[in-house]
Amino acid sequence: MLVRGVLIEDTFAEAFTMRVARLVITGGTPRWAREAGLKLTGFATSVIGCKCEAGIERELSETETPDGRPGVSVLFLTMDKESLPQQLISRIGQTVLTCPTTACFDGLPDGPDRLPVGKALRVFGDGFQGSKVIGGKRYWRVPVMEGEFLVEETFGMQKGVGGGNFLILARDADAALAAAEAAVDAMANHPGVVLPFPGGVVRSGSKVGSKRYKKMVATTNDAFCPTLRALTESQLPEGVNSVLEIVLDGTDAPAIAAAMRLGIDAACRPGVQAITAGNYGGKLGPHHFHLRRIMGGESQAA
Amino acid sequence: MGSPLRIVNGRVYDPANGVNGAVQDVCVRDGKIVADVPPDAKRIDAAGMVVMPGGIDIHCHIAGPKVNLARKVQPETHQDDVQLRTRLTRSGTGGTVPSTFATGYRYATLGYTTAMEAAVTPLGARHTLEEFHDTPVLDKGFFVLVGNNLLLYRLLQEGRREELRHALAWWLKVTKAYAPKLVNPGGDEMWKGQRNANITSLDDKIGSFDLTPRRVIAAFIEAGNELGLPHPVHIHCNNLGHSGNVETTLETMRLAEGRRAHIAHIQFHSYGAAAGKSQSNPTSRARDIIEYINTHPNISADVGAVMFGPATIMTGDAPLAYMLRRFGGNKWVNADTENESGCGIVPFRYQDRVYTNALQWAIGLELLLLSEDPWRMVFSTDHPNGGSFMSYPRLIRLLMDRGYRKEQMAHVNQKALDRSALRDCQEREYSLSEIAIITRAGPARLLGLTDKGHLGVGADADVTIYEEDEDKEKMFSAPRYVIKDGELIIEDHELRADHQGRLLHVAPDYDPQIEQVIEPFFEDFYTIRFANYPVDDRYVPNGQIIPTTPSVAAAPATAGTRT
Amino acid sequence: MTLTLTLRTAPTVPLEADVLSPDRLSGVSALEAAKLTVVHGNQRADLGEFFQVGGAADGELHLTGDLAQVKQIGTGMARGRIVVHGSVGMHLGAGMTGGEIVVEGDAGDWVGPEMSGGRIVVKGNAGHMLGSARRGSQIGVRGGEIVVFGNAGNEVGNGMRRGLIAIGGDAGDFAGVNMLAGTIVVLGRLAWRAGAGMRRGSIISMHPAELLPTFSYACDYAPEFLRVCLRHVRGLGLTIADSHVNGRYQRWCGDGIELNRGEVLILDSAGTASRS
Repeated sequence: MLVRGVLIEDTFAEAFTMRVARLVITGGTPRWAREAGLKLTGFATSVIGCKCEAGIERELSETETPDGRPGVSVLFLTMDKESLPQQLISRIGQTVLTCPTTACFDGLPDGPDRLPVGKALRVFGDGFQGSKVIGGKRYWRVPVMEGEFLVEETFGMQKGVGGGNFLILARDADAALAAAEAAVDAMANHPGVVLPFPGGVVRSGSKVGSKRYKKMVATTNDAFCPTLRALTESQLPEGVNSVLEIVLDGTDAPAIAAAMRLGIDAACRPGVQAITAGNYGGKLGPHHFHLRRIMGGESQAA
Repeated sequence: MGSPLRIVNGRVYDPANGVNGAVQDVCVRDGKIVADVPPDAKRIDAAGMVVMPGGIDIHCHIAGPKVNLARKVQPETHQDDVQLRTRLTRSGTGGTVPSTFATGYRYATLGYTTAMEAAVTPLGARHTLEEFHDTPVLDKGFFVLVGNNLLLYRLLQEGRREELRHALAWWLKVTKAYAPKLVNPGGDEMWKGQRNANITSLDDKIGSFDLTPRRVIAAFIEAGNELGLPHPVHIHCNNLGHSGNVETTLETMRLAEGRRAHIAHIQFHSYGAAAGKSQSNPTSRARDIIEYINTHPNISADVGAVMFGPATIMTGDAPLAYMLRRFGGNKWVNADTENESGCGIVPFRYQDRVYTNALQWAIGLELLLLSEDPWRMVFSTDHPNGGSFMSYPRLIRLLMDRGYRKEQMAHVNQKALDRSALRDCQEREYSLSEIAIITRAGPARLLGLTDKGHLGVGADADVTIYEEDEDKEKMFSAPRYVIKDGELIIEDHELRADHQGRLLHVAPDYDPQIEQVIEPFFEDFYTIRFANYPVDDRYVPNGQIIPTTPSVAAAPATAGTRT
Repeated sequence: MTLTLTLRTAPTVPLEADVLSPDRLSGVSALEAAKLTVVHGNQRADLGEFFQVGGAADGELHLTGDLAQVKQIGTGMARGRIVVHGSVGMHLGAGMTGGEIVVEGDAGDWVGPEMSGGRIVVKGNAGHMLGSARRGSQIGVRGGEIVVFGNAGNEVGNGMRRGLIAIGGDAGDFAGVNMLAGTIVVLGRLAWRAGAGMRRGSIISMHPAELLPTFSYACDYAPEFLRVCLRHVRGLGLTIADSHVNGRYQRWCGDGIELNRGEVLILDSAGTASRS
């Protein structure tokens, strides 16, 4: 299958079930909501090293937030139920509580599991905090030097999907980057999806384990490293000199598939030879995103 | 008085006459138990049922000014517990302090036929008698408060022991009381005189008097016994509710020196103090108390058990109520009765998770389970202080059913159980006969009511018939039949007749000269004139004088110097 | 089809009609409903003696007429809806736990005493003791919402512990007296002694108010929770200006004779009594 001359490999991206929370962070101005969102989702690229994966889902207008102020929506994912509240409590406590003008609301009110995040953060108030129930939801008001920090008592948690991906195989590094940027731009603000890596792009795709270092959980994906074409069992077609990967996490598989479709389409531009995806043979992750099906074609890949 | 009645086929529990579950007939005629009735007499078939004398509450708070204050201060509890008027019965309200009519009916529906109001100021006697008049079914009496009485203090201070005895007799007689009651002797006097003051030991000086609680208590034990009162003296010890009060209680019992004395709601007086940091936390010293009582036949007590749930602290011990009002932060009433007493009221709730409450609950059970003589450690919750009388069936089940008790123990504050010995007395289960003793025969004997608490010929025909049930709470919650003075009041669990009980009171002799001592004090210090003070017989349309057996003649009082 | 009751004989003394609740009338036909007991003064009577009953109960109840003498409508209701085309008497929705009552006219004293859930909307005025504790009780409203478009009398939210009371007009003396927590929003004027004895909770006023001397000024600020709260109140139908949502409020803490953890928030543009 070719899209504007770019080969869509007949393979699939293999993704995992993760736990996801959605936070709505509002601020006095869009700038401060964004600042809090950026800090909150910093160093949250991969569960391998960061314990969680997070990104800004989209910016929210005044009409979309509980307090009528501009905001951002953030998705936050972990591999298990237990670590999500831990990560949220420590990260919100350090990055949103501290950030001028912001307030922090739950973006998954129907989430079946309720995480006691505000309930834990309230103790920063040292007994001076107060709570309010408005429209059936409890909020905590924590006094801070600026005024008050408002945080919802609980946040919804539901099952999400982590590790959707595709790889851009390009003639050179410039072409790969241009394609990746185009893909990220196309997927920006897509509901239910975040791209946890820097600018949405990862250059250091990894394989499970190590050929040499026993303790390493993940090491470089040598089969896609152009510099190793002569040293390893390379999977790079002739003429490919640089590869970039886009990783997608989201609230559900359809959202990820829809975003991948936009992203792959945007990445199919001059200088790109092929689009492929990472998987583990289909045995590890329950979610399989077949590139050709996503792009409206047929797939024979297992 | 009802028609002659023969109760057949029931298992009879009449421990005073040595009947322990035998199936035998009980015959009733003209309000009394008789040996036989004509064959055509009405029959009650009590097959599968247990026949006992009517229940007797030796210590409760059901009528009088303080009870009415407790009703007034809790209107919110009335709305949830309305008793509607029926063809037979008057309307009323419930909660922990039911209105007068509801009190009478509700006691009756539990199988109780006699109750003693345990604290009435002399000045409140009229009010109490008027409420008694509206408290149906029950025979009633009241204990009159004399332990903080200024004139009696004066006589005692001046060493006029004889006159004290005559004055006590006068007070009992003119108020139509049943027994003298001491409440935290000296405590109210301290409380009235100084800010937040109270008695802390038997040897504290009582305010401006040259007296100590020790002298006051000893004098009243002596006087009550010399007067030969059926219930010589009813004592609410000093330091109620305080950690470490067990020493005061033991010392108070020793003051009796072999003479009769009854200690009220002794659970509240059986606390040790924890060592070290948590000194203010009470511990259980029930063992020390019960050991003393087991070995001293002159002493008796009612347990004053605590049941979880709502209660109303209602006491003549005003400083105690002041202390307790801090725990709930709830409403509090304080009232003084001029020269006679104090009063405090605090709506309260005992919670199984709270250390102190759970400990109190455990101590009440401990005392009953460790007691070797059920005749002298009898049943009470100090209604409504430790819980409503409506919780008696549950308390009976706790005593009779160790499986249930164990289950309940699992729900309470375990640290409190660690500080009690309740886990050590898990085996004991009260028998029906023992229940009959602690709720009927024992209280009757301790009160000196020879016609009550048993089913022998000549006894008052107050009979309760329960349907046997494994679930003792269910069994004791709703007797099938209740007979009061020979009249079938409850049939098939329902009230079938109204009935006016009697006032039980004493009228001990005294030297009339004592009035010469008392009258000037009234004219000087009371708000009411001496002549208007005695309660006249119109307040007692249905009275019964229980005789006294004085050991000292009512000799002329020795002339003393008045101050 | 809803059950409709139209008053045809005005009661001469208060009529206690706690049967008028969707729970109690569930599955009841018009004929059966007419036979239910109400108490007229001290006499028992059939509902049908006073009301023309039509339709059938399906969880919704429509009452029509001047019911100012009819008390205890919606007592203890847990679900369903009551719409009153007219005014109602005392004790509307007493102890209700859920559902909704809408009164197109005025409501008497004691609207929603000790309710714990659901919503009461009064389009006209409400009497004294709106959303209060019963006499003697320490705890009033435990949850739910009461919205009054007009004015309310004295002791709004007495002993309130949770929930929201929003008043479009003025509130009488002692609004929020002995409040334990919860929120009272008054778009009109607060009369004297608001928040007397309050432990926690918030009383919000859009007009200057004379507070008790036991309330202390803290600061001027724009509380975020109030934005959420006022937008919610706007959703309930009251007119909330953007200047209310975006406004700055004076925070006064009190009551100093109690826990001192409550607050009265007064819209700043309103100007206030001097701060000391």
